[in-house]
Amino acid sequence: MRSLVRGLSAQINVVEALVIRETRTRYGRFALGYVWAFAEPLLWIGAFLLAFQLGRRHIPNDMDAVGFLATGLLPFILFRTTVSRTMGAIRANKALLYYPQVRPLDLVLARGILEFITLSVVFLILLFGNTIYLEHLPLDSALQIIVGLIFSSVLAGSFGLAVGSLATMAPSVENLVSPLLRPLLWISGVFFTAAELPTRIREVLLWNPLLQITEMVRAGWYRSFDSNYYSYLYLCAWILAMAFFALTLERVARRKLEI
Amino acid sequence: MIEIRNISKSYTINATTNYVLHNISFRFPDHENIGILGLNGAGKSTLLRIIGQIESPDAGEVRHYGRVSWPIGFRGGFAGSLTAEENCRFVARIYNEDIDRVIDFTRDFAELGRHFFLPVGTYSSGMKARLAFGLSMAINFNVYLIDEVTEVGDNVFKRKSRKVFEERSSRSSLIMVSHNMKTIRTYCSRCAILTKGSLQLFDSVDEAERIYKAL
Repeated sequence: MRSLVRGLSAQINVVEALVIRETRTRYGRFALGYVWAFAEPLLWIGAFLLAFQLGRRHIPNDMDAVGFLATGLLPFILFRTTVSRTMGAIRANKALLYYPQVRPLDLVLARGILEFITLSVVFLILLFGNTIYLEHLPLDSALQIIVGLIFSSVLAGSFGLAVGSLATMAPSVENLVSPLLRPLLWISGVFFTAAELPTRIREVLLWNPLLQITEMVRAGWYRSFDSNYYSYLYLCAWILAMAFFALTLERVARRKLEI
Repeated sequence: MIEIRNISKSYTINATTNYVLHNISFRFPDHENIGILGLNGAGKSTLLRIIGQIESPDAGEVRHYGRVSWPIGFRGGFAGSLTAEENCRFVARIYNEDIDRVIDFTRDFAELGRHFFLPVGTYSSGMKARLAFGLSMAINFNVYLIDEVTEVGDNVFKRKSRKVFEERSSRSSLIMVSHNMKTIRTYCSRCAILTKGSLQLFDSVDEAERIYKAL
């Protein structure tokens, strides 16, 4: 038991040092990196707002357009950037595996945690900035939003770990990820709610865990919007399966990795 | 002290499996500097990486008693986009050492001048090795694992490295792999030779040298 606690605190120490280091390499010595963290979701929101205007989109349940888009885009962007950052974590930081206490999993954890912190802050500022602008706080359940973001992050991190581990054995798998993830923007509820879909299409799209996460986060933000289209059980099953798969691959990669 | 038991390691290239290390067991004696000699490709560096627990063997186990360094060498250990100072910071953090002390010691020791504050990616391999060596000396290990790295630097740097080791010989020892007899002689009291996957310890460096030269 004591050795478990000691092992855990040593790992926390390593991951913490890696997060601090990643902050330097990710955002550099310039503030520009942080600016981009805000600019990316803002640009997306701007583009969709314009499309909504042109298409005379009516948003259901008294939701405002900016909040509606932010609650859809941020879990999605969190997912996508976490995947792309974590899957390259092992390759980019191979030199650090020279220290025996640093293992591939730590490299992935550090990047995942940094993405989570950054985008959560962006999320917080955007939504509350919007609240001040509208002079109306629709918040239903902060906990539900946090859980939704954690789900998105862990699912993405596990997927990234799986890809990154595979890539240590077959580097070309990384190239498959981006085309594979591209359609996700259109089927994850970023600009629609599940209730708006025709039944047949909805039944198919609800297999996509990201759509369920979007529903969950949105329902957490708006008192006026509630969704019957997400299941904690289903999402947990996805995450457990993905994490198990990824951790198994990491074990294999750990043995095969030539430093 | 370090002990390895029944270590085997093979690499498979184009469907042929080559054993680099085959069923090696060895106890490194306490408080003694041991040199490991071997021809190029004998598996010296692989053995050192396994001893340092950054590479896992196919079979067997490695046991550390006390604090053992990472394998200090030309390769690895530093993020190229970060400066030497930032790299020192990271290493001090993961070894729970005082950050400022580690930075000051390394800066003095490695003699990199203003390069200390420039990205490590711009360094020559000699500078990188000096940084690695200085940084490892800033942390108190019981055993230092050294991969050729003491052969870098001018005579002043070499003398300084030797002096640091002598000062701490009462509490630290080293395991060094090299194919340079002179370096081994400078640092080590005994020698082991790695051939055909087996590791044999000799009582004196002279005896080891005779066998090694006949290889």
